[in-house]
Amino acid sequence: MADNDPITELMARCALRDQRAFAELYRQTSAKLYGVAIRILRRQDWAEEVLQESFVNIWNHIADYSTSRSAPMTWMTAIVRNRALDWLRRPNLERGDEDYDLLLEAVPDDAPGPETLLGNSRDARALADCLKQLSGNQRQTIVLAYTHGLSHGELASHLKEPLGTVKTWIRRGLDRLRGCMDGKIN
Amino acid sequence: MKYQSEPLRDALAAEYALGTLQGSARRRFERSLKDDPRLRRLVTEWQSRLAPLDALAEPVQPPARVWNTILDRIQLASGGRVSPVSLGFWDNLTFWRRTAIVSALAAILLAVSLATIAPTKQPQSMMVVVMSDERSTPGMTVSWPVQQKGEAKIRIRVMGHETMTPDQAWELWMVPGGDQKPVSLGLINTAAEQELSVPRKLMPAMNQAWGLAMSVEPAGGSPTGLPTGRIMFKGQCVKL
Repeated sequence: MADNDPITELMARCALRDQRAFAELYRQTSAKLYGVAIRILRRQDWAEEVLQESFVNIWNHIADYSTSRSAPMTWMTAIVRNRALDWLRRPNLERGDEDYDLLLEAVPDDAPGPETLLGNSRDARALADCLKQLSGNQRQTIVLAYTHGLSHGELASHLKEPLGTVKTWIRRGLDRLRGCMDGKIN
Repeated sequence: MKYQSEPLRDALAAEYALGTLQGSARRRFERSLKDDPRLRRLVTEWQSRLAPLDALAEPVQPPARVWNTILDRIQLASGGRVSPVSLGFWDNLTFWRRTAIVSALAAILLAVSLATIAPTKQPQSMMVVVMSDERSTPGMTVSWPVQQKGEAKIRIRVMGHETMTPDQAWELWMVPGGDQKPVSLGLINTAAEQELSVPRKLMPAMNQAWGLAMSVEPAGGSPTGLPTGRIMFKGQCVKL
């Protein structure tokens, strides 16, 4: 990410405790991050809570960003995703199941896949191309796990496949993905 | 636990970034991340590889209350309720010290005014505790006695705090001072104003206590009878 990226600049000002910059950072990124949280949590009240905690966290740890070597949106999204995943994995917490089947229909394993929607940046094209190299099952499980925060167990029960099979799809899929993307970027 | 083999480290980093590393394995991995910069690097690489998938989530405008709460929380954490101002002003340390003192005083006044709303039969001294976080920012006040039909109660006002998750409980402790152990006063909630019943026999000790503390405990409260989690707020008793 280039140094003159406007989000990077806002983050640098936030590290100097500039609350106006933080307000602007929120204005520019909150809808995107809220969308990520809603996608994983599927409940507005939980997503609000997670977004709120994430931004407080972002403000408190923004000085750590400089050492993270990732793009600012990737860094912030990782905070939101981790908070959302921790939230989901609390004991005794169950998301409603009713949406899963719709979800699976939305990502059929033989469709061209979401890679066509990823955008046109170099990284997006690399990921899209590499997702195409995977088997349909590998692609579907990886995309569902990432975008909807589904666990191995949830994927297995909703795809009606054995847990071990799902784990293998994901592990082999990730392995192929890395090999393919390293080949493209390096 | 050390993750020795490079392929295993990369596979775990990948599943961590994907979100499928869960439960105790996820917590163990997060602990390893703290002092393993190379492992953090592997995670960052995976997060960057997968990041284009974030484009699949539709942006949704969050309700305004989310930002208001965030602002409340970061302003409380940085020393008081002040509206955003220019950078130079924020760097002025004298301003910060003064703000911290002013908010501590405001907290005491608030506790006193709340405590005096309850009708008292005779003038008596009152105990007030302004409890602050580790940056000395006041977060809650506790005062007693609260006159109410013979019950011993304390009044709590929470001014600002972190979010309590359902797997947490916030437990209030009397800190007697010296080398005596803290005594649990019970669990509190997130309401801005609340009252807590305290065993009557504890009141003499309360009136002599050094102060109070509030810790974050597992749901249901401390399993050991002593604080086990992080102390969020603590403060010294002041007799008024």
